[in-house]
Amino acid sequence: MNRFLIVSLTASAIALAGPPQQTAIAQEAKPAPPSNLTATDHPWDNGEVLDLAWDAPAGGNADGEYFILRTVAKVGDQIVTHDFKIIDSAPGDATSIGVEVKHHLKRAAVRQLGDRIDFEAILATGEYKFTVGYLFQIVSVNADGVRSSPAQTAEIAYATMQPFDLGRLALLCVTIILCGAVIFWIRRARSGKPIKVRKIAGLEAVDEAVGRATEMGRPILYVPGIQDINEIQTIASMTILSHVSKTAAEYDAKVEVPTSKSLVMTTARETVQAAFLAAGRPDAYNKDLIYYVTDEQFGYVAYLQGMMVREKPAACFYMGAFFAESLILAETGNSIGAIQIAGTAMPAQLPFFVAACDYTLIGEEFFAASAYLSGSPEELGSLKGQDVGKVFVALVLIIGVLMATAGSMLDSPAIKEAVEYLKNTLLT
Amino acid sequence: MNKSNRLWVILFIIGAVLVAGRMLISQSLIGKAYVQAVPVNADEENEDHKWTLYEQSSQTKFNEAVLEDPNQTKYLFSFSRTIGVWIAALLTIFVLSFLIRDNPLYKFAESIFIGISAAYWMVVGFWSTVVPNLFGKLSPDMVRDWAMPGLGIDERVELMYIVPLVLGLMLLWILSPKGGWISRWPTAFIIGVFCGLRLITFIHADFLSQIRNGIAPLWMVDSSGSFDFWESLRNVFLIIGVLSCLVYFFFSFEHKGIIGKTAKLGIWFMMITFGAAFGYTVMGRIALLAIRLEFLFDDWLWLIDPTGKRLEAVISMLGLF
Amino acid sequence: MKRQIPLLIAMIAGFVMIVAYFIPYTVSWGDTVIVWFDVLAAIAFVLGGGNLLKVHLKKTSDQVPGWGYSVITIVAFVIMLVIGLGKIGVNPAAKYPEFAWSGKFSEMGSPFWWLYEYVFKPLQATIFSMLAFYVASAAFRAFRAKNIEAILLLATAFIILLGRTAAGPALTGWFPDAIEGLEADKLTSYLMTVFNTAGNRAIMIGIALGTASVSLKILLGVERSYLGSGEE
Repeated sequence: MNRFLIVSLTASAIALAGPPQQTAIAQEAKPAPPSNLTATDHPWDNGEVLDLAWDAPAGGNADGEYFILRTVAKVGDQIVTHDFKIIDSAPGDATSIGVEVKHHLKRAAVRQLGDRIDFEAILATGEYKFTVGYLFQIVSVNADGVRSSPAQTAEIAYATMQPFDLGRLALLCVTIILCGAVIFWIRRARSGKPIKVRKIAGLEAVDEAVGRATEMGRPILYVPGIQDINEIQTIASMTILSHVSKTAAEYDAKVEVPTSKSLVMTTARETVQAAFLAAGRPDAYNKDLIYYVTDEQFGYVAYLQGMMVREKPAACFYMGAFFAESLILAETGNSIGAIQIAGTAMPAQLPFFVAACDYTLIGEEFFAASAYLSGSPEELGSLKGQDVGKVFVALVLIIGVLMATAGSMLDSPAIKEAVEYLKNTLLT
Repeated sequence: MNKSNRLWVILFIIGAVLVAGRMLISQSLIGKAYVQAVPVNADEENEDHKWTLYEQSSQTKFNEAVLEDPNQTKYLFSFSRTIGVWIAALLTIFVLSFLIRDNPLYKFAESIFIGISAAYWMVVGFWSTVVPNLFGKLSPDMVRDWAMPGLGIDERVELMYIVPLVLGLMLLWILSPKGGWISRWPTAFIIGVFCGLRLITFIHADFLSQIRNGIAPLWMVDSSGSFDFWESLRNVFLIIGVLSCLVYFFFSFEHKGIIGKTAKLGIWFMMITFGAAFGYTVMGRIALLAIRLEFLFDDWLWLIDPTGKRLEAVISMLGLF
Repeated sequence: MKRQIPLLIAMIAGFVMIVAYFIPYTVSWGDTVIVWFDVLAAIAFVLGGGNLLKVHLKKTSDQVPGWGYSVITIVAFVIMLVIGLGKIGVNPAAKYPEFAWSGKFSEMGSPFWWLYEYVFKPLQATIFSMLAFYVASAAFRAFRAKNIEAILLLATAFIILLGRTAAGPALTGWFPDAIEGLEADKLTSYLMTVFNTAGNRAIMIGIALGTASVSLKILLGVERSYLGSGEE
């Protein structure tokens, strides 16, 4: 511990950041400094913010602004030299601000501690988390850019963590509304109330595609995207695969599922096996039709386009997360005359599927596919729940836009503030 | 030999003759690779700890060095990398031949690619994930003595990493003749964890932020305080676009009547969105092809010389004669 | 039982992650499980690699048509795997010469690097570059589909393409001031900032809702097809 340079807090001379000449010129017309600067922990947060508050200088500072300076003053029980740096600024009419403090040291402060590498190693262990103490200074800066002498916090301030992040309260409420709506409609559907939903052309075509493959005696190709099973689109793809393979089992058609990830292969096997069992054809299940190719995106594509041209599947399903390969697949499928149904939530790839496939499930439709294909009331109920979410979005958007418009037309600060609150507090 | 095979053989022979002809014209300037030897002297006292690294160099540098000292050993012609350039060029042609039709050359390239790339990612997964993030966490001393001597001395054993190890072993249990069902547990764990994580992060990051960014006044004023028609119109279009697309996504109503018309407007908005993304990508894709062709015609055959490096090499060679 | 326990595992794991997101002490669990997943996925390579070998060995032993290509795949796979895992031809790290295994597996000049540089990379780049042809054929197809959606898509793509290249200003730069807004580069920026933003915004909101709904159904056990049949 001796290798740390220990300097007494009280003995340190504090120099303000900024070129010395400027300070010399400023001597004559220095504005009055603010007073009573305090720094307290921001309540109910993750321990990364300190709240600063101060009294405005005599005569006010409405035309100018404030500069906030910070230094690491203490790390654990080690006292550190001061090295105040400007970290933030506040408008001249403010008397408080929240400043972010991360629980690591700035390079300069660490260098003062003597041995940078070792100190970082100690910090990395987490031992010093939340034990970094800070001192703050504030200076008022007038309209000419001249700075006052600083006011400093009297005590070292520490940011601490609380058991709940109040900043995420609005998120919690929105989550409860969205999930609550889905759960409500699922329960309602379970109780036997009829659920009606509109038709989606791409999903109506699934039976047709499988039927055609059966007639032609050709296989069905199912591509579950190139992401692993930790991607929600791949998981959604598995649920769709379940229905496609069940239909195929009923028609006695062959479904081939080449995968680009090992875990997707194992999950797809479980899924397809269950689907064949549910269709009453467990004997027809062939696990060799679900196989791993390679993790490499373009290696997988090289295989798929070759395989498509050689085996000429009658129907191709592209369901999951796709990247640049989307168009290679869809165009190759087109060249062999397959019925192609795609579904993805990758906005950047939707154009290519739309341009080259017979049917494309766009974003939310893709996630709804499994509910449609299952036809079970509780699954369809969840779609109604999603609609409630969209109504919520539309309402918030319309209210927000109307408020913002009123604020702008009437030039009303109160309404503008309310819009800011809505945007930056409730919707973050 | 059927007709199509004969065609391929003829094409192949024509290609080979062309390349051979190209070589005869200026053999020394076609697809050759040069390296610069960089001696590594890791330990002065131990001869075993000395070796040479070969960094990529250019023909120009090689020629200049030979001109200066014919017996120099710093710049060398690399046989293995020259072979590499040729293999890379041939594989490139094999793959592009697929655009005409599927053929044995493409199948050959495809088979190699699958094998090499599957193994590549496994090796990467082992050395950059399993070793540091599993072995390194469970037994840092062992890993430090073996493959990662630079691993921090303070690195502690993190028993939490037993979890992925156990889950991994359960996953591999599927290979055993009995009890394969146990592999569903890690799958269920992973799917559960990521469903929870994605649910909340999507609501937080995408859902809320998209609504937040969508809130904008329909009455815009410019810096002088007067009404800005074009900016206002922009925001009106934005909100109409968002709302009509949302109507398209509604599942509860058939697309008929007023809902149908609004949804139709939504589709048009989305088609323009897709068209924009399509147009935006085209140039990038063409550039990719241009890079491949440049490799073939510049790096390999020197039929073009866009960067002037070949010409430079020729000039540097003049002194050798 | 064989199905109930995994369902319970998924449900508990998922809801724990949701709750953890609101508690500062546990919010980093999300990052931890992402690392765990990477480890798990790397272990699962054994399954994928094993399957790859099995498929191609079977094709070879059955001598199905084209089995020669399977032999090529197996040879390429095994060679790449052995030289990569064995760090064959890799020098130790210059800093730690006494540790034979300390070098980078992809060190320049090693056989692994050679295969990556001269086989893997060119193949990858060439497959990617084939997109240039596919983009053209897709545009041509959209051009032939004579409905209003296809026309909108293609016309927008065309305007954006003009606006992003030198052709745009060259062709439309002479427009008089009154219709200045129709110049290709101005139209491009308008299309991107208004229509593209609006469409993407609605799509993203839909995706978030869909994600939340699918996740919730899986956590509640409404959707359980991924777990298989519960049989051996």
